[in-house]
Formats: sequence, C-alpha cells, structure tokens
Amino acid sequence: MAVRPDNRLADSPMVPVCCRRCGASVLARKSSWNQTSVQWDAEASARCLERREAENLAAYAGRSLFLACSALSDAIIEAVRHGDLPVVDETVPATT
Amino acid sequence: MTLQSDTDEIRQIEAEAAPTRFARGWHCLGLTRDFGDGKPHAVHAFGHKLVVFRGGDGRLNVLDGYCRHMGGDLSQGEVKGDEIACPFHDWRWGGDGRCKKVPYSKRVPKLARTATWTTLEQDGMLFVWNDPERKPPPPEVTIPRIEGATSDEWTDWHWYTTVVNINCREIIDNVVDMAHFFYIHGSLPTHFKNIFEGHVATQYMNGAGRPDMGEPGKPQMLGTTSVASYFGPSFMIDDLTYHYEEADHQTVLINCHYPIDANSFVLQYGIIVKKSDALPGDLALETAIGLGDYVKMGFEQDVEIWKNKARIDNPLLCEEDGPVYQLRRWYQQFYVDVADVAPDMVDRFEYELDTTSPREEWMKVVEGNLADRSAAGTT
Repeated sequence: MAVRPDNRLADSPMVPVCCRRCGASVLARKSSWNQTSVQWDAEASARCLERREAENLAAYAGRSLFLACSALSDAIIEAVRHGDLPVVDETVPATT
Repeated sequence: MTLQSDTDEIRQIEAEAAPTRFARGWHCLGLTRDFGDGKPHAVHAFGHKLVVFRGGDGRLNVLDGYCRHMGGDLSQGEVKGDEIACPFHDWRWGGDGRCKKVPYSKRVPKLARTATWTTLEQDGMLFVWNDPERKPPPPEVTIPRIEGATSDEWTDWHWYTTVVNINCREIIDNVVDMAHFFYIHGSLPTHFKNIFEGHVATQYMNGAGRPDMGEPGKPQMLGTTSVASYFGPSFMIDDLTYHYEEADHQTVLINCHYPIDANSFVLQYGIIVKKSDALPGDLALETAIGLGDYVKMGFEQDVEIWKNKARIDNPLLCEEDGPVYQLRRWYQQFYVDVADVAPDMVDRFEYELDTTSPREEWMKVVEGNLADRSAAGTT
C-alpha cells in the first residue's frame, strides 16, 4: 500500500532552501504568498536553533510549542525574492 | 463528420483494497466506567472478538474472547477472583493471558496461553496497545494526560459511540480537509495549518461564526480556535475554544476510533467543558451535552458522505486543498513494521493554507444565504 505522489508537485515540486541562521536545509514550496509547505529531515531538525529553544520550553509546557522557525521563514521569503523559489500563484496561468 | 474526439486523458479513480493489517498504536476502547463493573464485556476490534474485564485485583484486562480449550466465548463467562472463567468448562484465564486453573484437572496443559492486549487506564478512558509485531508500547508514544479530565473545574466526559461501516482512513483524512469543514459541517475556516512529526499529526484551525446559520434570538457564536492532534493512529485530542461575545467556552473534544475489521470501525467522541463564572456547573454540563449533540451531527454528516463515497488512493487536489498525500504518508508508519518506518513518514512536515480564496467564495455563499433569509422574512 504505497502512498502516491501529490499531483500538485508534478508541475511545481518542492525546492531546497537553506536557513541563514543555522544552515539547515529543507524543502519548501509556495502556493501563494500566504501558503507554504516545508519538508524537514532529521538533520535539519537537529540543526534548527529555534526548534531547540522551543523544546527546552516544552519540557515545562507539556505539548510541543514549535510552530515554525522564524529564521527559516525569512530564508524562504528571501528565496522567493531571489527567484530561487517560485510562487505557484504567480507562475501558473489561471485555467478558466 | 469529425467529432472532436476527446483525446484528453480521463482521470481514473484508483484504490487498492483496505489493508487487512491493523494499525500499531494505542486505541481507546471507551470509558473505564463502562467496563469496570466486574462483568466481562465483549469488544470487536482488530479483527478479533475481545473480552474486557476488571479482575478482583482492580486491573482492567483485555484478552482474546475465545477460550483456547474448546472455543467458549469468554465474554459470556464470569469474573472469578482476578480471572475470567469460561462459561463452557470453567477454565480460568488471567490478565497475563495464561490459563491459571482448570478446576476439574490436576494440571494446566502446556501452551495454555492466549492473546492479550496491554492496557492503560487514564483520564477515565481505557486504552489498548495494538501491535502486529507484539512488542510492548514504547514510552514516547504514550497518550498525553488531559488536565481537565480529572479536575472538578471541568465537567465529566460526555461520550458517544457509533459503528461506521467503512475503512478508518476516511476519518483520518479529515485532519487535512479544510474545505469539507465548510461544505459538510457549516464551519468557516479562517486559518488552517497542519504539522506532522513523529507519531503526531496536528491540525490548527480557527473558524469564524456563520451569521447565516445561527438561530435567531440565540447568542451568536463569534468563532472557534482549535488545536487538534492525533497521538498515534487513532486518538485525537482537540483543545477547542468557542468564542462568544460575553465569554469563551473552553472544551476538550476527543475524537477516537478503533477498527472492527478492514471495513468498519467504532467511532467515539467525548467532550468535557471547563466550568467558569459564565458557565457554572449545571450550565457547563448543559453546554457539554449541547456541543456533544452538535459534534454528533457533524460526524453524522461525515458518515453520510463516507457511506456513499469511493475509496480513492489518488485524490486530485487543487492548491487550496490540504496535504492529503503527506498525511497518508504519515499514517502509513502505523501499518508497517517498526524496522520499515521510512524517515519521510516521521520527518516534520508543515503546511499552512492560504484561506483567502476559499473565504472569498464562502462569504459570497453566506451573504447569499442571508439575502435569501431576509427575503423569506425569517430574520
């Protein structure tokens, strides 16, 4: 029962983005300015400083507090500005 | 004559049969108050008939329901001491799965051991650990405590149980399915984000009230804030706050299930509500019941869709849909041996949805409904 690939990734795959703070490399995709997906791997998770800070706090709070890394979010925005990360909204012409 | 032959490919729905293996993980069987009366209870789960009983030692045990002697139904038997006695020949089975005594025999035969499920009693609920590899539950995947469940400042569980005749993947898909919350449940999502990591899959959802759906004269709900996580394959804790003009109502909603077989599952949901100045004891209980009925209606709406829909392994998604494929990849970790859990099943994945375009459309629908209402003179 293998899981299929996401049909949306065929035209616009995830692309690597590197965090400027810790050097973690993730895969990112932007559907629009306000829609982002981020695929981490174990190495990136281990590197991320904000994640570590959140984990230290979570030890007192119980559940996980880590919603997103702000430094990585900045890196993703920078990648869009530099043209390294396309925004699907702006690259795919409307079909209707 | 040339018909414009449609050479465009037709999208086919593809689906393999539902897996016959059952997920590894903790599953909630229900409230301990419903199992703990010292009588045996039959539960159909994981393709088996199980017997649940509280022994004289106070422990809740879960064993395969059929006696290894001549196949008697232990759930029709009787609890004697710490053991369950078979109604057929009085063979006694302990919570560890071993036959402790055959009253009419000098000794118990070799290999007199039956299947057991590790149990956990917590926050008023009974959990069992299911693992096709028969390994003990690792501590890091244990079900988190629910603070309100044992507190006098919260109501008791208001609990519902129902059987759904479809493979349980359908209910898992709801974690990422933002649009169905509008079309099926009458919610109006304004913020929607998913994070999957390890054995936890979370949905963050804020919703606005539906001015076109409230009953005239009743207080208008302004919106909801929800953080809902599956801890493993079947147990979701939803910290769910309802915002009203005068106060917030803080609730915890449990959404959990266990498989009966490949094509049916028992769906359970439970609610506790925090008591407050705005919601003293009786009113909090009333609210729990009211919200429970509301949630019940929601699940009935889901079930109506599930009963009639096709199983689909290759959903055709638009950009405004959630991460269905990535959720299913996360879910797959529970259906393979631990040694075969691939990194991408457990690696962190974040997906924040842009609700702008859906909201524009949905507000048009809401305004249309309001216009219809006022035309009909019902407001």
